[in-house]
Amino acid sequence: MASLWRLSVLCGAQGGRALFLRIPVVRPAHVSAFLQDQPAPGWCRTQHIHLSPNHYSGSKAASLHWTGERVVSVLLLGLIPAAYLNPGSAMDYSLAAALTLHSHWGLGQVVTDYVRGDGLQRAVKAGVLALSALTFAGLCYFNYHDVGICKAVAMLWKL
Amino acid sequence: MAALLSRHVGRHCLRAHLSPQLCIRNWSLPMAMSICHRGTGVALSAGVSLFGLSALLVPGNFESHLELVKSLCLGPSLIYTAKFALVFPLMYHTWNGIRHLIWDLGKGLKIPQLYQSGVAVLVLTVLSSVGLAAM
Repeated sequence: MASLWRLSVLCGAQGGRALFLRIPVVRPAHVSAFLQDQPAPGWCRTQHIHLSPNHYSGSKAASLHWTGERVVSVLLLGLIPAAYLNPGSAMDYSLAAALTLHSHWGLGQVVTDYVRGDGLQRAVKAGVLALSALTFAGLCYFNYHDVGICKAVAMLWKL
Repeated sequence: MAALLSRHVGRHCLRAHLSPQLCIRNWSLPMAMSICHRGTGVALSAGVSLFGLSALLVPGNFESHLELVKSLCLGPSLIYTAKFALVFPLMYHTWNGIRHLIWDLGKGLKIPQLYQSGVAVLVLTVLSSVGLAAM
């Protein structure tokens, strides 16, 4: 029997405070993720997201991928001012990694949206992977053998 | 009558193998900003990939390439324009990206808020691009 985790995001009356509740509910299999809006007294908004980790490992992977995308986005957002304030080798490599991962996943979403057909999609995604790998290799090469990303931007801007 | 007219309007989109919705549907600010977010993202990725690949394939180091550009003796206004052109898509994607992350938190999803945050992103993009290009 698949166990179901219910994640509820509740909005307080003041608006803004988010409470996360996890209530395990045992249910038979064949449940997919869905969102429903249920106005209840005292709450301004309720979202119920059902995830089934045992039977739908695919959707769990997709959920983790989604979260990973947001984490890398926030990381990259923080890296940009950090690179300006504290340039250096560590910053160069962190930027290279975050930049290529964010663009790799972003291009993956574009491919998923517009390239229809299982075989073609897999082929194009392999191409995107190759491009991302080469880009990361190139950036690391630049960081190691040349001035590095932070210094390069500084030099370019002094033009 | 309106239905016939809109069907005709969409036809040239069909001829271009585009969705007829692109010609029939009224474009809205959130719709346009969404495709620009994707467009700037793809463009920035292409730029980064071009940079990375040229580091591997093109001979000469970064400084020599900068010297080449310096030797062209481009005017300051042209250099400012080039900097602006580089930083504008980055700033748009960054600010709109923050807007996306706020949506992911579940906030600001009402229709008027969509338009307000959209205009805010556009204003911030222009201001930050102008500022950064001047640095």
